[in-house]
Amino acid sequence: MPVYNAPLTTLDKNETRRYAGLKGKTEFSDKLLEEACTQALILANPKGVWNNYPYNAATNNVLSQPLYQPLSADLSEHLQNAVEVAILGVTIGEAVEKKVSDLFSSGDYTLALLLDAAATAAVESIADSINSLINTQAAKRGFKTTLRFSPGYGDWNITDQPTVLELAEASKAGIAVTSSCMLIPRKSVTAVIGLVPQESSITRSLCGKPSCKACSQHHCLARKEF
Amino acid sequence: MIYIFDGAMGTMLQENGLPPGYCPELWNVEHPEKVTAVHKRYVESGADIIETNTFGANRIKLSHYHLSEEVTKLNLAAVKAARDACGPNTKIAGSVGSTGKFIAPLGDLPFETAYNVFLEQVSALDEGGVDYISIETFLDIQEMRAALLAAKAATTKPIICQLTFSEDGRTVTGTDPATAAVILEALGADIIGANCSLGPDQFINIIKTMASHCQVPLSAQPNAGIPELINGQTSFPMGPKEFASWATKLIDAGASYIGGCCGTTPAHIKEIRAAISGHVPSHRPATISHTALASRSKVVFLGEGLPTAIIGERINPTGRKALAADIKAGNFSTIKKEALDQVKAGAHILDVNMGVPGIDQAATMRQVIGDLSLLVNVPLAIDTTDAATLEAGLRIYPGRALINSITAEPERLEEFLPLAKKYGAAILCLPIAAAGVPTSVEERLQIAGTIVNKALDAGLRTKDLLLDALVMTIAADATAAQQTLETLRQYRRTFGFPTVMGLSNISFGLPRREQINSAFYAMAIASGLDAPILNPYNQEMVDMRNAAAALLGHDPSGHHYSLTYAASAPITQTPEKNSQPNNPLSAAKQAIINGEKEAVPELIRTCLASGHTPLEITNEALTAAMNEVGVAFGKGRCYLPQVMLAAETMRAAFLTIKEAIPAHETISAGTIILATVQGDIHDLGKNIVSALLENNGFTVIDLGKDVSPDTIIQAAEKHKPDIIGLCALMTTTMPQIDETISILKKKSIPAKTIVGGAVLTAEYAEQAGADAYAPDGIAAVNIVKHLLGK
Repeated sequence: MPVYNAPLTTLDKNETRRYAGLKGKTEFSDKLLEEACTQALILANPKGVWNNYPYNAATNNVLSQPLYQPLSADLSEHLQNAVEVAILGVTIGEAVEKKVSDLFSSGDYTLALLLDAAATAAVESIADSINSLINTQAAKRGFKTTLRFSPGYGDWNITDQPTVLELAEASKAGIAVTSSCMLIPRKSVTAVIGLVPQESSITRSLCGKPSCKACSQHHCLARKEF
Repeated sequence: MIYIFDGAMGTMLQENGLPPGYCPELWNVEHPEKVTAVHKRYVESGADIIETNTFGANRIKLSHYHLSEEVTKLNLAAVKAARDACGPNTKIAGSVGSTGKFIAPLGDLPFETAYNVFLEQVSALDEGGVDYISIETFLDIQEMRAALLAAKAATTKPIICQLTFSEDGRTVTGTDPATAAVILEALGADIIGANCSLGPDQFINIIKTMASHCQVPLSAQPNAGIPELINGQTSFPMGPKEFASWATKLIDAGASYIGGCCGTTPAHIKEIRAAISGHVPSHRPATISHTALASRSKVVFLGEGLPTAIIGERINPTGRKALAADIKAGNFSTIKKEALDQVKAGAHILDVNMGVPGIDQAATMRQVIGDLSLLVNVPLAIDTTDAATLEAGLRIYPGRALINSITAEPERLEEFLPLAKKYGAAILCLPIAAAGVPTSVEERLQIAGTIVNKALDAGLRTKDLLLDALVMTIAADATAAQQTLETLRQYRRTFGFPTVMGLSNISFGLPRREQINSAFYAMAIASGLDAPILNPYNQEMVDMRNAAAALLGHDPSGHHYSLTYAASAPITQTPEKNSQPNNPLSAAKQAIINGEKEAVPELIRTCLASGHTPLEITNEALTAAMNEVGVAFGKGRCYLPQVMLAAETMRAAFLTIKEAIPAHETISAGTIILATVQGDIHDLGKNIVSALLENNGFTVIDLGKDVSPDTIIQAAEKHKPDIIGLCALMTTTMPQIDETISILKKKSIPAKTIVGGAVLTAEYAEQAGADAYAPDGIAAVNIVKHLLGK
């Protein structure tokens, strides 16, 4: 199980704005945004792990011991050309979420909200880092990679979370799951990336940016406008 | 002289029958003749240097085949197999590959474990009699540092260090070719270069950049293009002729060792040999001669003609009790904050001092340097008088640090200089001798000269040296400033190394120190100061630096100056201030709408002073403001953070009223119990609703997250709420909404229920028997008001 606790030296303020629900170019206190990003950087303790497994697209089976067949038509489609999968788990630890609660309690609602958003940007950034490492290693072996696909996307039920966690050996990064399949720490991400032979043409939808359009969370704060 | 390496080994062995998944290094003992045969083909194709079949022959990689105890045997056999193929002039490079793990804290492999793993392999290769050590295909500069340090301890043979860069021109862990060249040359690599991952076309810029950042020979071993998988076989698109057509371009870029990595064959090497014969390499580009410091991902140059670099002094517990206590307690969040804030304020280098009595300073330094190396990308200066602490910091730092500082005291010279050499650090020479602090300029120069000579004797280069001009307070000696300025000028004339000094000492014991400091700063820059150590939070000092850079031509056309200050100019004019309403209630209302949390208490006090009752203020300013914000949100004219800021401001207003009139009892608009349901640990949405309701005059009993129906029932019986709000985030916890509502009904709790959360919908809410569904926090407030007929 490779471990990669990627460096986190900056946070994307625009992503933080988006996760906090600030649409477009809305003017908002840069000082508070900066403060939230700085606190997230200080409190984040990034950890990441992943494992690669062979994958049989014909039977939708991850060839682990024992076999794992994700029950998701969307994931099967996502992995239709994959012959291998990388299953990853990343987290930024629990300190940030504790701080968010404390800030709410002390009446610092705005900073709490922004810190939560910055923490989301942080964990996504850590996931991006490990993803780009997986991409590099895959490219050396002649593979392209699909986008990350996580439990809860499309029709992939989050009840698969414990299995995904186990396959990633995410407990080594300090990630656990509740009986209701929620990740602890909350700012954690698990995902599957498909490795597709360079020769086959990945369909455009798998290569493009993940779209908010396709998501059913219409009230999501971070939903992009169309 | 150009040297030609060989091409790929692994794929050649597979062509000769190595089964997939079989340990290639095992063939060194099982089929040495087949390994020799591959080497021979490369020698016949014109390779000057062949690489041993030991890329994965380290303890960690071999453990995948249960061969970790065979390191020495497999490496020795590999060297022999190579030697059997050599022509009269063929040289052998012992190949050292990565462990496949990242070094802590980036990964889980302790630095010392990695060091020992490489020490073991390189010792075996050295014993076998290789001519070079080739550390190659490394993704991370820190693992490269461990391998290079180990190789230098294990052998006296020249060491080649080749990193692998991605298409963005950096290694996976963020090191660019310039930074790699600076760090590895200082650390003692004999040849620096790149191999694998990219094709030769993508290597040109990497090699060019390296050439201008170091003086050692460069090597380039690209892949035959980007691989494809065809019928399950990895295949590389670039044929021998095309590949070789890049060889002369790589040589012109600055490489003198050329070979191939994945996908290259004896045919590729043969074509390179043909392509370069008769090629007269153009002169290698000139190297930047400035002193450089580096983090993992960034180089900072210092010296004459360059903008002043600020060394941030804040990570230092001297005279700071709270910071010292944090360090002692192992709480490093203050340090992290100081690091981020100083970089934001404009620091280019951060000084790190862990001088707290009674702690294990070496261990603390190791921890802090490791943490900071993942948090900031500016280079670090290790500030200590203790050799063990210095070594702990230098060893773990994945860059080229500055040592702050080395005096002419014999013990310091003996202990610190070898460490600087070993770890490729730059040193700050502080002109203090065993006899004490010098009193004249001449004495400073003479002591500095002593340190410089000792440093050069210890093997350091002139570009490893920086000079401290030594600042004494003018309160004790009126000529102190002039002496320091003259020292700066003479340093420049005599040595030409970058100059550094702790600036603020000049004003010690005087009033309005910042005035003295900034005037002295300007004079010092004009006298040749390159890198002041100062507090970057002092905006005047940062401004002074930017102005000086424009004045001295370090900032061509004042471009950076204009960019920095043109944008900030309008701040002095805030139109809202001019249109401040006269009526105090309207002013307070507007302040809440604008989220002016700091301004609102004063405005509330004005309201009270002008005779408005708390009830009037609440209704006409506070509630009215929140209503307006709510409407704006509903219409998409403002967003959640602005609503929260208004709520926060409203809270400040409430608290001000309470403070002014402690007896004032607010009339509750109603009691609401809020809970995130059992099994659900996400409470951000619930917290937002809670904050908004509270600041709309409701009494909120917040039961928290993961709350069982029983707890909710008990709370309902106790508090007799008007409304119970339930929240669930995910499909797995959504059924708890149904469950909880049905129990509430069974127990005949009269409160109305309102539900919300990411996955919930109005339909679901209705089917679960809830009285209402709220898609967001503002809607929740409106629904609650509606349900209670407010």
